[in-house]
Amino acid sequence: MKIIFILVLLASPVISLSQTNISGKITDQNSAPLPGANIYLKDTYDGTSSSADGSFSFTTQETGDAVLIVSFIGYKQVERKIKLNGEKIYLEIKLEEDSKELGTVVISAGSFEASDENKAVILRPLDIVTTAGTSADIYGALETLPGTQQVGEADGLFVRGGSAYETKTIIDEMVVQNPFYSSVPDIPSRGRFSAFLFKGTIFSTGGYSAQYGQALSSALILKTQDLADETLTSISLMPLGFGGSHSQRWENSSLSSEIFFSNLDPFFKLQKQRVDWKIAPRGLEGSVNFRQKFSNSGMLKLFSSVNVGDLSLYMNNLDNPSVKDFYAQKSGNYYLNANYRGIINNDWTVFLGTSYSYDKDKIKIDSNRAGETEQLSQAKITITKDIIDGSYLTFGGEIQNTVYDNTFNELSKNLNEVLTAGYAEADIFFTNDFAGRAGVRAEYSKLLNKANIAPRISLAYRVGDYDQFNFAFGNFYQTPDKDFLMQTTGFAFEKATHYILNFQHIGNERTFRVEVYYKKYSDLAKGTVYTYPYFELPVMPFSSQGKGYSKGIDVFWRDRMTFTYTDYWISYSYLDTKREFSNYPTIAFPTFATPHTFSIVTKHWIPAITTSLGVTYTFATGRPYFNPNNPEFLGDKAKNYNNLSLSFSYLTNIFNSFTIIFFSVDNVPGFRNVFGYRYSTNGRYKEPVLPTALRSAIIGMFINIGQSNPY
Amino acid sequence: MKLFLPLIISLALIVNINADDDKYMNAMKKNLEKLDSLSDLNSFLDAANNFERIALAEKDKWLPYYYASYVYVIASYIDTVKEKKDIYLDKVDQLINIADSLEPNQSEIYTLKGMSAQARMSIDPMNRWQKYGNEANSSFQMAMDLDTLNPRPEYLLGMGIYYTPQQFGGGPAAAKPYFESSIKKFNEFKPADDLMPHWGRNQVEDMLKRIGE
Repeated sequence: MKIIFILVLLASPVISLSQTNISGKITDQNSAPLPGANIYLKDTYDGTSSSADGSFSFTTQETGDAVLIVSFIGYKQVERKIKLNGEKIYLEIKLEEDSKELGTVVISAGSFEASDENKAVILRPLDIVTTAGTSADIYGALETLPGTQQVGEADGLFVRGGSAYETKTIIDEMVVQNPFYSSVPDIPSRGRFSAFLFKGTIFSTGGYSAQYGQALSSALILKTQDLADETLTSISLMPLGFGGSHSQRWENSSLSSEIFFSNLDPFFKLQKQRVDWKIAPRGLEGSVNFRQKFSNSGMLKLFSSVNVGDLSLYMNNLDNPSVKDFYAQKSGNYYLNANYRGIINNDWTVFLGTSYSYDKDKIKIDSNRAGETEQLSQAKITITKDIIDGSYLTFGGEIQNTVYDNTFNELSKNLNEVLTAGYAEADIFFTNDFAGRAGVRAEYSKLLNKANIAPRISLAYRVGDYDQFNFAFGNFYQTPDKDFLMQTTGFAFEKATHYILNFQHIGNERTFRVEVYYKKYSDLAKGTVYTYPYFELPVMPFSSQGKGYSKGIDVFWRDRMTFTYTDYWISYSYLDTKREFSNYPTIAFPTFATPHTFSIVTKHWIPAITTSLGVTYTFATGRPYFNPNNPEFLGDKAKNYNNLSLSFSYLTNIFNSFTIIFFSVDNVPGFRNVFGYRYSTNGRYKEPVLPTALRSAIIGMFINIGQSNPY
Repeated sequence: MKLFLPLIISLALIVNINADDDKYMNAMKKNLEKLDSLSDLNSFLDAANNFERIALAEKDKWLPYYYASYVYVIASYIDTVKEKKDIYLDKVDQLINIADSLEPNQSEIYTLKGMSAQARMSIDPMNRWQKYGNEANSSFQMAMDLDTLNPRPEYLLGMGIYYTPQQFGGGPAAAKPYFESSIKKFNEFKPADDLMPHWGRNQVEDMLKRIGE
C-alpha cells in the first residue's frame, strides 16, 4: 500500500516544485497606468490585479505553455502566449479602449439625440415632456433647441431656414404623413403622438443618414417603446378632456390601449380667446399598442390609432368688416404601423416594416365645401451587418404609395405617387477617436418620372475624453408639395446640399455644442397656387427654378451640475437665409425665418414639496410679413417675440395611487406678441396675426390607479 | 500489481478531485473573508477580479460569478465617474446572466438582478425610475417567491422604499415593516454552506437603528 500512496501523491499537482514569477505593467494607449486590470493565466486561479501605478506581479506553479489574459472593464481583452519554466517573465501590455464602451467618438453632426439607451445623449425623453411652455408636445420641446424657429401661427418644425414641409417625422423607420392634428389657418395644432410612446428621439437639423429621405431640411426620428413596463391602469383629467389607459404585461408580450375624449369648450370659456369659436375643437381618439418579444430576441411592434374631431369658427373678413366668414372642419385620421426587428444570425439584423395612414378633412367655408383625403401605404426593409469593432453596414429599400383626393364644391383632383428608394451606408470606426459614415440613397418618383442619387458623408473626430469635432456633407431631395403637383406636371425633385461643422463637449453633466452650417437649395417648386394672402402679387408660372441658401450658427449649452436639483439649457441660433420659391416674385428672407432666436429652459426640483418647477423663456427677432403697400417684397418685419412660461408638477399620493398634478401658464408677463399681419385685397385694412389667447393656463391630473409609488 | 492498477488510478482521481474542491473552497473562503474589509475602489476591483478568475477557471460554478457581480454593483456606487457606473453594471448583467444559466431559479441571483436594477436607477432616478424601478421590484418579488426564507430581497425592497419620498408611499415608516420582516428571516436563516451568500444582517440592523432614532 505504501507504493500506491506514493504514486498517488506524485500524481497530484501539489508536488510540482517549479515556480514562475510573472510581472509587468498595464497601461493605456497613451502609456498612462491602468490600475484594477485583471491579469491571469487562462483556466487557472493564478493571477492578480494591477496596482495604482499599473504594475503587477504574481507567481504560478503551472509549467509549460500558457495563455496570459489581461482584461479590464471598458478595454479590449489581450491574450499573450507565454512559456512557464521558472524563469522570470516581464511584460508591458497596452490596452485599447473597447469601442462599445465609454468614451468612443459618436457620429453626431447635425443631430440632437434623446434616448435612454445611448449614454452620450443631449436630452432624455422625460426632458421633452417636462419642459415648460411646451404642453408636453414633442414639437414644442424641440423648439427650445437651436436651429428651430418660433413660428407661432403654423404647425410643424421650421428648421434652419426650411419650411415645415421640409421636416419629416419618422416613427420606427417609416415616414408619417400627418404627424399633426388637422389645423385651421393661423391656428397651429399640436403633434398627434404622445411623447410617452417613444423611448428614443433623434432630432436631426441636417446631414442625416441615407436611410431617410424626402426631407430637405430636417428629420425627426422617433423610436417607439419596447414592452410595456408593467400592468397598469391610469386616468387623466384636464379641463380640456379626460381619458384612461390600461397596459397589460405578460412575460414576453404587452398590450396597451388608451382612449381620450377632448372638448376645449369649457376651457375656452374660462380663458378669453381671440378666436370666435362656434364649436370649440372636440374629439375622440383611441390607440392600441401591441408588443411581442421572440426567443431569438426579435421584437414585433404593432401600433394603431384612430381619431375623429370637429370644430367651427367665425373669421374676420378683411374686405368687408361687417361680415364674418364661417369656417367648419371635420377630420378623421387612422394610423397603423407594424414592424419586426430581429437577428438573423450573429452579425445580421433585419428590420421589416409596413405602415398605412388615412387622413380626411372636410371643410366648409360659408357656402363652399372642400374635402381633402390623403393615404400613405409603405413598406421598408433594412438589413444591418456587423463588421468588426462596432463598425457596420446598413442597406435596404422602401416603397411609398401616396394617394391624394381633393375636392372643392363640384371640382375634384387626385394624385397617385409611387416613390421607391434604395440605400446603402457604412458606419466605420477607423480608431476609437475617428469614425465615419458614408452612404448613398437613390430614389425614383413615378409622378415626376425622375430619379435622384444622394451621397451623404458624416465624420467625427475625438480630441479629448469628452470633446469632438464633427463634419457632415450630403445631398437631400424631396418631391414638391402636392399643391404644386395637383396643378401641372414637369417638376423636378427639390434639392438641398448641406455642409455642417461642429464642435461638441459632452461630459460630466455638462454639454456644449456649437455648429456652423451652409445649405444650398435648388430646383425648388415655384408658382402661384393660392393667392391668399398675397393678393397684389403677380401670378407666378409653375417651374422648378426656385433656389436659395441658408447659413448660420447654432449654440447649445446644458448644465445639470452647477446648481443642486437644477437643470438648465440655453440655445441660440443665428440664421441668414434667402429663397425664391412658391409664389415669391423675387429672392427674399422667408416669412418663417428670423436672424436671432434665443431660449433658456430651466427645471428645478424641490424635494421638500416633491414639486418640479419649470421656467422657459424664448426670444426671437421679428419675422418678415407681406405688406402689399411696401414695394419691397417681404420688406416689413413684425416686432420681436418674447415668451415666458411657467410650469409646476406636484407629485403625490391620492387614495394610495401615485398622482401627478400639473399646472402651467404660457406667456406669464402678457407680452403682446404679433406674428405678422394679414391685409385686405386692396391693402387698406390690416389685421394682426396673434396667438389664440394672450395667456393660456392649463391644469391637469394624472393618476396611476392602485400604485402608491412611481415604480 | 496488475490488480492494483485500476485502484491506483481511481484513487488518484478521487484525491485530485478533492484537491480541486479544496482549492476552490479555500480560494472562495479567502476572498469572502476579505469582502467585509474592502474600502476603496481599487480593493473592490481587485476582489471582483479574484472572483472572476475563479469563475472563469471553474466554468460551471455560479457562486464566483455571483460574488464578482455583487462586488461590481458596489463598485458602481463607489466610483465617482458617472459615465463609468453603467459600464460596471453592464458587466454585472453579463456575469449574472451566466450565473443564472448555471443555476436557474436561484433566489440569490434574482436578488442580485434587483440590486443591479436599483443601482441603474440611482444613477439617474428622475429619468430611470419608471424602467429600473419596475425591474428591481419584479426581481425582488421573484427572489422572494423562489425562496420565502431569503432575508435579502426584503431588505433591498425596504431600501428602495426608504429612499422613495414620503409623498409616493416611501420613507422610513413605510420601509420599516420590510426591515423588520427581513431581520426575522435573518434570525432563522442558515446558509446551506460557508460559500452561500450570508451578507446583509448588519445593514438591516443599521437601518432599523436609524429608523428607531
